Amino acid sequence: MVEKRTFVFVMLATIVWAVLASTFAGYYYLQNRNNAEQLDSAQNSLNRVASSYSETANEYDLLLSEYASLYGSYSYFTSSDYVTLMPHLGSLIANFGKNWTNLFAQEDVNKTYNQLLSDCEALLKKGNVTKTDFGNLLSEYYNLFNLSALRELGRSISEATTLSVNIETNYGNGTVEWHNETKVPAGYTLFKLTQETAVTEYSYYAFTEPGHVLVDSINNKTTYTDPSYAGGYSWIWYYWSDGEKTWVSGPVGCDAWLLRNGGIYKWNYERWSYP
Amino acid sequence: MNTRKLAFLIILTALCLALQIIPRLPNVEFTSFFSFFVGLMEGAMVGAFFGSFVMLINGFLSPWGFGGLNIPFQIVGMIVAGVLGGVYRRFTHDISFSARFSLETAVLGAFIALVYDLITNLGFGIQLILAGEGSSLALFTVVAYGSFFSLVHIVSNSVVFGVLFLPLVNALNSLKVGGSHWSKKERLYS
Repeated sequence: MVEKRTFVFVMLATIVWAVLASTFAGYYYLQNRNNAEQLDSAQNSLNRVASSYSETANEYDLLLSEYASLYGSYSYFTSSDYVTLMPHLGSLIANFGKNWTNLFAQEDVNKTYNQLLSDCEALLKKGNVTKTDFGNLLSEYYNLFNLSALRELGRSISEATTLSVNIETNYGNGTVEWHNETKVPAGYTLFKLTQETAVTEYSYYAFTEPGHVLVDSINNKTTYTDPSYAGGYSWIWYYWSDGEKTWVSGPVGCDAWLLRNGGIYKWNYERWSYP
Repeated sequence: MNTRKLAFLIILTALCLALQIIPRLPNVEFTSFFSFFVGLMEGAMVGAFFGSFVMLINGFLSPWGFGGLNIPFQIVGMIVAGVLGGVYRRFTHDISFSARFSLETAVLGAFIALVYDLITNLGFGIQLILAGEGSSLALFTVVAYGSFFSLVHIVSNSVVFGVLFLPLVNALNSLKVGGSHWSKKERLYS
């Protein structure tokens, strides 16, 4: 026969074990539920990306087919006046505008598109359209088309992916400003990031490629050119090279440079001189 | 309560407070052990007062930060430890050095830790409810996510109770014997 006192202590120990085991079961249940929710959410994100990608790919293929058709007509055109191809180009540009309307929220794409429209109108007003004129316009369209396709793909990925980037602004007077671990959607350019982290003024140059934007001022610190044009101060951008462990001067316009996750960027207000 | 007992309790309180407010591992504590011990030696009321007093000060000076709304729940948890010491006193007439006695105190230490954790988790749950969480989910969540901390607390309390209880009782007995010896001497010279 078990002694009453022993029985009480065995019961107490059992209660401790049972309650503790139950709390652990509850913990694993909650963890399991959270994991399942996270997996569902990740799966939904992937589904959204896949669906968005399919739409983008369809639009891309459609526009590319139209372009290919027009390019074929242009290549094998026998007349010296290409004005008869202009309505086809107009239709191509209009379709581009209809399919990728949401890209016009991006100022640089919007400006490039408007530039293309005005170049098209100017050519129509001119009357005689040479092979070179039409070829230049077609090339201008193709550049915009490629840039937009890339941005559109970035936008579709951004529904599931957010990038974390760091940006430094060095005002050249000892003041250095950091924006660390800034969250931006995938497909963002350095120009968009700069606009979001500082008050920015810029100029748009249609003839420069890749990238059409030159930053004129950041947080009211304005670029300056000597009256002799032999020197001045400008905002120059750099990216941090993990491989070389050094800052590398931006090789293209800031509006053409796509950000990468964990990327470190810098705007430097610095003196330049020519020659 | 005579002056010597009061002095002894004050020393125990100071020791317990020092152990409680110095940096230590999370959920490894000695206050429930001392509260239980005081309850056993001096009765449930004194044990409960001892535990509540230490936890009140701990609520403000704990190395883990201000206790906030959980202070009352911590106090109640430690009152339970003191009261259980008093209850145990009623059913224990002879404290002897034996494995069985160590096992008993270890089980009691585990049980006290469990009750204390449930009460303080209830406190956190009420805070979550006040912050707008659903009541049953809030209580379930805090108890479930506190299970690892409870495990540490229960195991450490079992070890503390099982290992330290008998030596402390023994030290107290020696102190009492020594105290009587000096009292007699004093009476001789007076």
